[in-house]
Amino acid sequence: MITAMKTELAKAKRSVSNVLWSRRSQKVKVMVMGRSLSDGLLAKLVIYLLLSIVAYLYLQPILYMVSTMFKNMSDLLDPTVKWIPREITWENVTKAIKGLQYPEALRNTALISVTCSLVQVIICAMTGYALARLALPFKGLFTALIILTFLIPPQVIIIPLYVIFSKLGLLNSIFVFLIPAIFGQGLKGALFILIFRQFFKAQPPSLEEAAKLDGASTARLFFGIMLPLARSACLVVFLFSFIWYWNMYYEPSMFLTKGFTPLSIRLDMLEEVLNPSLLGNTRTIVNPITESTKMAAAFLIILPPILVFMFLQRWFVSGIERTGIVE
Amino acid sequence: MQAKARVREARLYLGKRYGMGLLFMLPWIIGFAMFVLIPISWSLFMSFNKVQVAVGGFKYEWIGMRNYRDAFLKDNVFPIELITYIQEMLLMVPIIVIFALLISLMLNQKFPGRFIYRALFFLPVIFATGQVLSELFLQGAGDIPFLEQYNLLPLVEEYVGKQFAETVMAVLGKAILILWYSGVQILIFIAGFQTISPTIYEAVRIDGASPWDSFWKITLPACVPFISLNVLYTIIDLFTFPLNPVLKHIKDNMFKVDTGYGYASALAWIYFGLIFVLIALVLWLFNRSLRTRRVH
Repeated sequence: MITAMKTELAKAKRSVSNVLWSRRSQKVKVMVMGRSLSDGLLAKLVIYLLLSIVAYLYLQPILYMVSTMFKNMSDLLDPTVKWIPREITWENVTKAIKGLQYPEALRNTALISVTCSLVQVIICAMTGYALARLALPFKGLFTALIILTFLIPPQVIIIPLYVIFSKLGLLNSIFVFLIPAIFGQGLKGALFILIFRQFFKAQPPSLEEAAKLDGASTARLFFGIMLPLARSACLVVFLFSFIWYWNMYYEPSMFLTKGFTPLSIRLDMLEEVLNPSLLGNTRTIVNPITESTKMAAAFLIILPPILVFMFLQRWFVSGIERTGIVE
Repeated sequence: MQAKARVREARLYLGKRYGMGLLFMLPWIIGFAMFVLIPISWSLFMSFNKVQVAVGGFKYEWIGMRNYRDAFLKDNVFPIELITYIQEMLLMVPIIVIFALLISLMLNQKFPGRFIYRALFFLPVIFATGQVLSELFLQGAGDIPFLEQYNLLPLVEEYVGKQFAETVMAVLGKAILILWYSGVQILIFIAGFQTISPTIYEAVRIDGASPWDSFWKITLPACVPFISLNVLYTIIDLFTFPLNPVLKHIKDNMFKVDTGYGYASALAWIYFGLIFVLIALVLWLFNRSLRTRRVH
């Protein structure tokens, strides 16, 4: 009798522990594999791995740039030195600073990017707001024209623009970029107008109705309420605009060729500055002597926007998600 | 008398109704006239002329369509470069968009540290334009490291044929720099995913759909508008790709004595026309696919 009960008890214990074990293993399985594709440990590991590999490939040119920048002559010619130079030399950096006339060019570039971007934020916001909310004749036509200006390659209109600017006496000054920006035709301005239009369209109209009932004028309403409301869109537009003005090369290569030159043009001329004997025809050959200096110069050029981006990164990415740029 | 009063009343009414809107649009309207309308009609006019730089301005000589005809018949660089570049572009656009889709799908998952990765993949946007990029490219920093090790050329030639092998190899040679052009597209996709409500995924999961199914049946269809947006953005972006040989050819012709501004304008217009056709084609295709899906 007792033995029968004992065996019964042992059986029950076993089955309980079996159930417990299978449940625990189920838990482990869920933890590792996940309920859906994305929340398991395994999936996360795979994602980390894939992203890290791609990120490595992605960032390799930058790593190459930084490593070449610190190489001296013998390291550069030595094929056994691939990534880490034997000794770190700052010579290339000082040479690049001198060759680019870095402080002056930096000031020019920063002046163009900051002022033009600020102007562009305000003007594009105004235009976008008018398209989204204000009564306007031919609204569809205006929108279509804005999209069209985005599609026109700069090469089509660069010669007439050059003539217009030279007639107005604006060449080789900041106004070549500032005046179009004031009139809503800054670099990729059409895109920014559309971003603002999308943003203002997504706002609830009750806010404006309330302000109108309180007797606010349209200008007051826009500058006092709508523009501060669009902070995230403003930040996104400002950053994009800043970066694109900073990096633009084609337009300044036509309009700003002497005197007031930005960094991108100086980089273009660096080879001739470093090697005055090689007049002309220097673009297509790679000169190992100046290679590391050029890499140092390139790094010096992208350093400020990277710092700005790192500083504003957090607001930027969430800003893009909140702007509703994509509808 | 009465008619005049009515006109004035109408004008007043229109002013009251549209005044503020027009005022807000005014800078753009002026800018459009000055910096787009005038230059674009001017360059169209120049493309039908032989333009010579003379003392105190340009000298125009009307030659009709000859510039356009010369571009295809006399110029032995332009048509080849144009066709090569369009071939490259047709290969680059899908690569960029698919790459952006895959990366953004991964970046959209919730895992610790995704903010760092998102920043990392956006980083190239900061400098993937202009001089720095072409400098890097000149030094051959943008190729995939295993390309040379495995000697892919015969393989590629075998699969796509000899005439396209060169294009494929050229694209592979700057693969990483091309992928750098996907920063904005990744952002657009990530923002696009936020518009899909998570309750839909919840619902299909309860109905027993696997993640694989829910990607094909929900994520991808909801992404079609963003895919089309990205395709358009990529095409426009590649227009002004700094390594674009067509643009270089146009610029070179601008300052040549025997061809000059007129010929360069004609080249630019041909280029513009081709891209415009390409964009219209893409828009039409996507519109059609959207419409057929709505019918089903």
